[in-house]
Formats: sequence, C-alpha cells, structure tokens
Amino acid sequence: MGHTGVLNALTRRLGELSVVAFGVSVLSFLMIRLIPGDAVQIMLGANAEVTPAQIAALRAKLGLDQPMVLQYGDWAWRALHGDLGTSVWTGRPVLEEILPRVGVTAELTLLSLAVAAVLAVPLGCLMATARRRSADYTIRLLSIVGLTLPSFWLGTMLLYGVAALAPDAQLLGWVPFGEDPLGNLQRIILPVIALALPVLASLSRVMRASMVEVMRQDYIRTARSKGLSEGSVVGVHALRNAVLPFMTSFGIMAGYLFGGSVVVEQVFALPGLGRLMLGAIAERNYPLVQASILLATLSFVVINALVDVLYAVVDPRISRA
Amino acid sequence: MKLAAAVVLGVSLIAAPVVRAQVLEIATDQSPVGLDPHVATSFATQLITSTVYEGLTAIDSALRVVPALAQSWKVSEDGKTYRFMLREGAMFHNGRAVTTADVIASVARVRDPKTGSPYASRFTSVTSVVADGNDVVVTLDQPSAPFLSQLASLVIVPPEAVGELARRPVGTGAFKFHEWVPDTYISLDANAAYWEKGLPHLTGLKFNIVPEAATRQLGLQSGTYRMVPSLDAATATALAGSTKVKVAATQDLAYSLIGLNVSKAPFDKPGVREAVNFAVDRAQLVQAAYFGRAVPGGPLSPALADWALPVSDFPCYKPDPAQSKKLLTSAGLTLPVKVTLNVLGSLQQVVDVAQVVQAQMNKAGFEVTLNVQEQGKFIQDWRGGNFEAFASLNGGGIDPDDYFGRTFATGGATNVYKFSLPALDQALVDGRSASEVGRKMLYEEVQRDLACNGPVVHLAYGTLFTAVRADVQGFTPNPTRSLRGLREVSISP
Amino acid sequence: MRRSNPLLVIGLVLVLGQALMAVLAPWIAPYGPDAQDILARLHGPEAAHWLGSDNFGRDTLSRILFGYRTLFAISVASVLAALGVGGGLGVLAAMRGGWLAVVVMRCMDVLFAFPIILLAIAVIAVLGPGAVSTGIAIGVVYVPIFARTLRGPALLLREADYIAAARASGTTEMKILWRHVLPNLSGIVLVQTSLSLSTAILVEASLSFLGLGTQPPTASLGRMLAESRNFLVLSPWVAVFSGAAILLASLGFNLLGDGLQERFDPRA
Repeated sequence: MGHTGVLNALTRRLGELSVVAFGVSVLSFLMIRLIPGDAVQIMLGANAEVTPAQIAALRAKLGLDQPMVLQYGDWAWRALHGDLGTSVWTGRPVLEEILPRVGVTAELTLLSLAVAAVLAVPLGCLMATARRRSADYTIRLLSIVGLTLPSFWLGTMLLYGVAALAPDAQLLGWVPFGEDPLGNLQRIILPVIALALPVLASLSRVMRASMVEVMRQDYIRTARSKGLSEGSVVGVHALRNAVLPFMTSFGIMAGYLFGGSVVVEQVFALPGLGRLMLGAIAERNYPLVQASILLATLSFVVINALVDVLYAVVDPRISRA
Repeated sequence: MKLAAAVVLGVSLIAAPVVRAQVLEIATDQSPVGLDPHVATSFATQLITSTVYEGLTAIDSALRVVPALAQSWKVSEDGKTYRFMLREGAMFHNGRAVTTADVIASVARVRDPKTGSPYASRFTSVTSVVADGNDVVVTLDQPSAPFLSQLASLVIVPPEAVGELARRPVGTGAFKFHEWVPDTYISLDANAAYWEKGLPHLTGLKFNIVPEAATRQLGLQSGTYRMVPSLDAATATALAGSTKVKVAATQDLAYSLIGLNVSKAPFDKPGVREAVNFAVDRAQLVQAAYFGRAVPGGPLSPALADWALPVSDFPCYKPDPAQSKKLLTSAGLTLPVKVTLNVLGSLQQVVDVAQVVQAQMNKAGFEVTLNVQEQGKFIQDWRGGNFEAFASLNGGGIDPDDYFGRTFATGGATNVYKFSLPALDQALVDGRSASEVGRKMLYEEVQRDLACNGPVVHLAYGTLFTAVRADVQGFTPNPTRSLRGLREVSISP
Repeated sequence: MRRSNPLLVIGLVLVLGQALMAVLAPWIAPYGPDAQDILARLHGPEAAHWLGSDNFGRDTLSRILFGYRTLFAISVASVLAALGVGGGLGVLAAMRGGWLAVVVMRCMDVLFAFPIILLAIAVIAVLGPGAVSTGIAIGVVYVPIFARTLRGPALLLREADYIAAARASGTTEMKILWRHVLPNLSGIVLVQTSLSLSTAILVEASLSFLGLGTQPPTASLGRMLAESRNFLVLSPWVAVFSGAAILLASLGFNLLGDGLQERFDPRA
C-alpha cells in the first residue's frame, strides 16, 4: 500500500468532489424550482386578496422574475466567491443561518452513530459466533424489529413513555452544550435513542454477515488448528478483517443518519440542519435550500471519500483497480 | 458559614430561572413566513404580529371593536368621515413617538400596489387621510359598515423601518421583537414603554416552533411550554381532565369548506352545487373529523350571533343522498359525476374533512378523487382558479359585508370561484347605507342565496382550543386567533 | 448435507402469506378499505371489527389487507427497479472501467450524496404526491445504493485469479459475467435487496409522516401508522395493528433474505 497509494486516492477523490459538488448544485437548483408554487404564494398564505400585478411586484422584489439560467449563473458566481446568498425571510447571509444548526445535527448524528457502532460490534460478533443458536435468532429478530420501527413512531412512543414514567422530566427542547452540558445531554437522550436504534440494528446485521464470511476463511481455520483460543481467533483475526465491510456501511449509514435526523429533529423540535432544510423547502427559501443541500451533500461526500481512502489503506486491491 | 453561603447561593442559582420564568414559552406548529404585517397574512405570521403591532382599533375576544392606537373616534352623520383621536404616549419600539404622519403613511403603504398588501382591497373606499392636530381624519366615498373592524388589520408601522419589516418587526404593541431563529423560535421582549401603564405583566414571549402535536402536548404537560395556541380536538379532549393544564375553548371564525369553480362543468350549474349540499352530512362530519367539537355552519360563523341564520333555515342542509342524485340527473348529468377535489395537505384537519366528504359524496351520485396538495401548489392552483373543487380552511371574517364582499361579490379579491350574482352585489351595496335592521334583512337574503347554490359549501366551524398551564393567569382566547390579549397575561408564582 | 433452514421457511411463509393477502384483499376483506361508519369509530377489537376501527370508523383489518397491496406495489416495484437499474450500472461500471465507469459513478455519487429523505421529498414535490411518485422517489433513492454496493465486490471479482484465468483462456466478457460474476454477487444482491425492501417500507412511512407519500384515502400501512398518531390518545388500536403489520412485512423480507443467503451462498 504505502503513502503514495493513499495520496493518489485522496487527490483523485478531491477532483471528483468538485464534479459532484457541481452536479449537486445544478440538481438541487433545478429541483427546487421545478416544485410548483413559490415564496410569494407561501408568504401570502391561502385566502389572501391579491391581484396578479401585486404578485408580480412581490416576485420581482425577491428576484424570482429572472430567467432560470441567469439565476443559477448568478448564484454559482457568488458561491464561488464565498457568498452563498441571503435567506429570503430573515435577510441574513445563509451561512449565518446554517452554521448554528450544524452543531445540533452533528451532535445528534455522531452520538447516534457512536452508540450504534459501539453496540453493533459485540452484537454482530455474538450473532456470528452463536450462529443458528437461540442467541443468534433472538438478537436477529430484535434487530429486525429495530430496523422496522420508523423513527417518528419510536420518537412519539418514547415521548409518551417518558410522559407516563416521569411527567415532569425536562427532556424536550434544545440547550446548547456550551451553555448547559448536562441539560444538553439530558435533552438529546430520546432523539439519540430514536435515531440510533435502526442504525444499530442495521450495523449489527452487517457485522454479523461479514463475521460469518470471515469465519469461513482458511486463515481462521489455520488459526484454530494452531490451537489459538476462540476468543483470540474472533477478537484478533476475524474482527480485523470483518471490520472492512462494516466501515463501508458507515458511509451508507451517514446518509441514512442524515435522513433520519430530518425526521427526528421534526419530532423533537430540535433546531438542526434537517429541519432548516425541510422548512426552507416548504417556504421556498431558495438560497437557503441551495446552500444547505450543498453543504450537507459535500460533507457527506467527504465522509464517503474518507471511507474509501481508509478502505484503500486496509485493502490495497482497491487502489490498484 | 461558607458552606451555608454556598448552599444559599446554589439554591438561589437553581431558583433563579423560576423568578425569570415570566417569559411565556409558547409552542406553535408552523413557522411564520415573513413578518411584514401588511403583506404576510398566513395564520402563522398573524399569531406573532398580533402581539407586536396595533392598529387604530382592535377586536376583542367578544368580537367588539375597541380602541387601540386611537383613543377614541367620532363618525359623521353621513357615515363617510371618521375622526380618530390618536393615543397619547404611544411609542414605536425604536423609541419614537407615534404621530399622525405614521398613520397616514401606513394607510398609504397598504394601499400602494407596490406593497402587494392583501388588505389593499379593504381600503379602496378611502378617499383621503389627513392630519388635524393630533387627530387623523379619514374620508370614505361611501359609508362602510365594516370599516372600523377592518382598521384593526391595518396596523401602524414606522415609515423609517419598512425596508426591514419582513425580518425585524417594529410596532407599538406590548411586546417587541428580539430574535428570530428560523424554524426554531421567535422571541419577543416586553415593551417597557407600552402606552398602557402596568402592561404587559410578562417579561417576554418565546414562540417555539414545534411541528409534532405529541411533542407540543407532552411539552405542555411537563412544563417545557406554557401555552399551545390552536390545539387539535383529539388532544383537547385528552387534556380535558388534566389538573396541570387548562384548555380554553372559543368558537373559531375559520371554517372548513368545499369551494366549487362555477366557471367549469359540472359546478357551473346551481343544481349540481345544491346536490353537493344534500350529499354532505355535516353532523356526521363534525363527529368524524372534529371529534364532535365543532358546529355545522352556514355562510356566516355562529360566532357572529347577530347576523348568522341558524342552519335549520337552509333546506339543503338536511342530508339526502337521493335528492342529490335526483338533482344531478335533472341537471342532465350521468351518474356518477366525476370530480377532483384539491385538498390543502398541510392541515390534517382539512385532510380529515376531505376524506369524510369524499365518502359522503360518493354515496350520493358523485365519484370524488382526492388530490392532496402541498401548500405551495395548492395556493397556486387556488389563486389561478385551476380547480374543479377544493377543500380548505378559510379565515372567515367578523363583518358580513367585508366577508361577503371579498369572497362572493363579482370580482371580489378572493372570489376564486368566479361566482357572480347581481342580486348579491346589489344587496351588499344597499347594505352599506342601510339601517341596522335593514342590513340584517339584506344579509339574511344573501345567506339564503349562498347557502345552497353558492360557490362554497360551508361545512363546519371548529372550536379554537388554546391550552395553557394552570399557572397562566388572565388569558382569554380570541376567535380571530389574535394573541394581543397576552399583554394582560401573567404567570402566578 | 445442509441443515434445514427455519429462517428461510418462516420468511417464505410470511412473505407469501402477505402477498396472498394482498392479492386476495378485495375478496377476503370484510369491508371496503374506504367504507366509513362514523358511528363505529375508534372502536377496539370486536366481533364486527376484528382489529377495531379508525377515526372515520373504517375497518382496520380491511385497511391492513389493502395496505399490503399498496406496500407490495410500491416497495417491491421500486426496489426491484432500482436493483435492475442501479445494480446493472454498478456492475457495468466495474466490468468496463474507463470513462464510462467514471461518468456513471459520478452520476451515482451526485444522487447518493443527496440526503435520502430530501431526494425523495424533492422527487415527490416535483411529481406531486401519490403512490406512483412515491414509488419513483424510493426507486431513485435506491439506484445509487445498489450501484455502489455491487460495484465494490464486482471490482474485487474482476481482479480475482480465477476470472483472470478465464479471461486469459479466451472466455468472452459476457460469459464471465454470467458464469462467474453474477453468481458470486447473488449473496450480496439478496442481502441488499432484503434490507432495501424493509427500509423502503420505512421510507414510505416517513414520507407519510411528513405528509407526502401515498395520499388519502388510499390504505397504506405507513400512512395508517402516521395518521394514527392524531388520535393515539383516544384509541391506540390502529397504531398497534398497523405497526404490527409493518413489522411482519419487514420481518418476512429480512428473514427471507437471510435464509436465501445461507441457502445459495456458493461457499456455504
């Protein structure tokens, strides 16, 4: 492998990154404008008494009367110069709107991923080693149940459950970690459970599958025949090789986590990026949608690029390909 | 000794938030879309602007017109000239006193086509607005019965701040804008310079945007939130027995409706519109979609007790699927009559109503397809008249002339149905100069005209539930959904 | 000799049983899926309504039976379409390499980089909500996932010694694909398909939660679950049974996938 392989993979990935960024920006730009209805309609609400001329005036005010290509060119030119535009409703630079939200979503998703990953490895190993015995079946069934519970449903159930058990507990809302670390963690418990459970279920299945795969390999048999203890066979030889597909699924999970956090933020009223985007789409706040999708997808692409690079480090066959 | 001091300090630190808790935490479902009170007219925006702004007049919880920025007023004999005495000591949140020039500028701003205000059509009859000392004199080209109540929606804004109003409201109300974090919260501080001395009692308001109903309800029960305006009926029923939470109920001015496009087949025929009325079973609808907490309604809200006819006066309000089918056949249509119903998807209430109506109409000779639309698309089709029929929730009005005029008069501002009935137009004109009794009779005629053959099948007026924690004192819900009354609210220690 | 595989049997029974219910729904459902009986609303399980009724007095059992139709139509069709399109593109990119692979995989990256739910929301917003656009949205979401999942293993296979040997001995690319590559990918295809099917059900439910997805009054399990929250405090039965139905459907797909994997894995 060596450093050059990693470096090559890295630079190639960076080149691809800009292509993906361009594609994503065009796609999101087109999509949001293809959605019927615009900011002006939403602002007036149903049942407002306005004439077409008034609507045209409002539209011109928001810059929506320009041809689409011009609008995109204008946006892209500014974006390349670091100006992602201003939010239609608050008039603040969109970055100022987005950045405070990143922390919330990052905390929620990373905590959930960490919790899920930490639990998934032992569960997956347990299932693989107890293959076709009752422990395997039990955990597998539970993992499927976990996969099957929609986050919004789990979230609502958790809310009702807590309300029944501890009616006065302050588990809703959001307090920044810097202001009140304890209050912050207290309020993120339920969202993390709701978001982490399906991820845990899915990751432990992946872990099981790759462990089963690895345990069949010759070198495991060899290790066993050498008289190594089962613990060190599983823990040292098998685990190291089984982690590979596990890591790839991390990349896929990042996407799932973000999608899930949109729903979980909605249920628990957390001021994260997902809610910002959902609101921005509903309100047709074009610059905000544009910028937040771009940022979310870029970070997502970066995560996946990192996963790929790691993959190349662990398995040099990929970087040769 | 030191330990004791530390303990005391610790206790006082823990206790501190309780003392500061005069900020009312409100959980509301939708984020406002722009805060310009002359332009953004959605429910979500008005909820917030109603605490920040005031007009010359205001509508109280009994739907009476009461003085606000006008201390008092006089109306001339012919009903065309209004003289408003401006409130002494009223200040904008930017520290400047309110002057007659601000009133004149605000009226001009609403009427200016460039502003794009939906309220502009309410003030077309104004011919002049002039200052006379500390008074503002408004002249109309004809008498207007709803003028004083319409003025409540024309809030007074400082001309120097209009460029930023959509983002940073500056008004004269009991609360002033502090911060807006989109889709998260809007916080307001108490206005220390409020003209009514001693008000407000609270030190601030915080409108938390909480989209999920269960979260609002449980947050209210755990004390995270102190107030939930516009609660759904199921939750209100569930909270009824709670000791920690009070649920205030008032008749909602907003009503669910089926709108029919009279410029297109099949609803261009009055008989087909009447058939829809016979097809719908309003009592059943109230049970199914409102959990029983609504009243079937005619063209005017039962909240307007002085004006509204009882629904028993409308023959077509008696559910009769057979009669519906008969009307359809005699209109020359073959059964079933296929209809697409656009549904405002952002309100669960409307989606529920639409499903019940669909089932009822399908039993009475129609074949209804629901087209549940996202809000933006729905509004676009609604405004463009691009529908056969739609299900929605309308804001209603507190004055029959105002409501009928914009909704049903030929060319009315929200007459998206393309409805036109010369007799109705004439009745509205006559009503403006008629005596109180004459007006009542004219409007009764209008209601009869509209109930069965009009372009709107009025379904039900819901109940507006507002839940507050038991320690919230002095709150009276307002049928217009205005939260201006929060200036008198306090939290008992 | 292989041991009998209880997972496969249970999975097969569950999936076939539910597919059968979906097909037979119009004949075995006691009521129409949209038939309302306002007087009998929010009932618990009883003789007239075995699984109770919802806020409009619609029979929960009938709606679940018809819900399986929607579920199979949307999830199965969209996931299989995504497998065909996405998987095909992934394998193609892996076998061919070169600029084609670059273009295909970059396009997949763009789609993949879009957050799943936003991609689905955008597709539905553009097409207008409904069963068909929900299916398309879910399909679009899974195309890049299949492409990426299959490309990696296909790349590894391309480099495998026995395939290099086959290539050296003059076997055509098509034959290599059919004889060596696809059979070796079947395991991962089955796992990914079963996983995707169960998550597709969840995506549909989440879309319903956000007010998109299948539109009323169509009976859809995800939508029933989402709407049941509105009257959960008054009657939890719809939530319980529609949740259970989703669980059984997902369980069936998962067990079937797992069982098939163990059965057909060439190295087992």
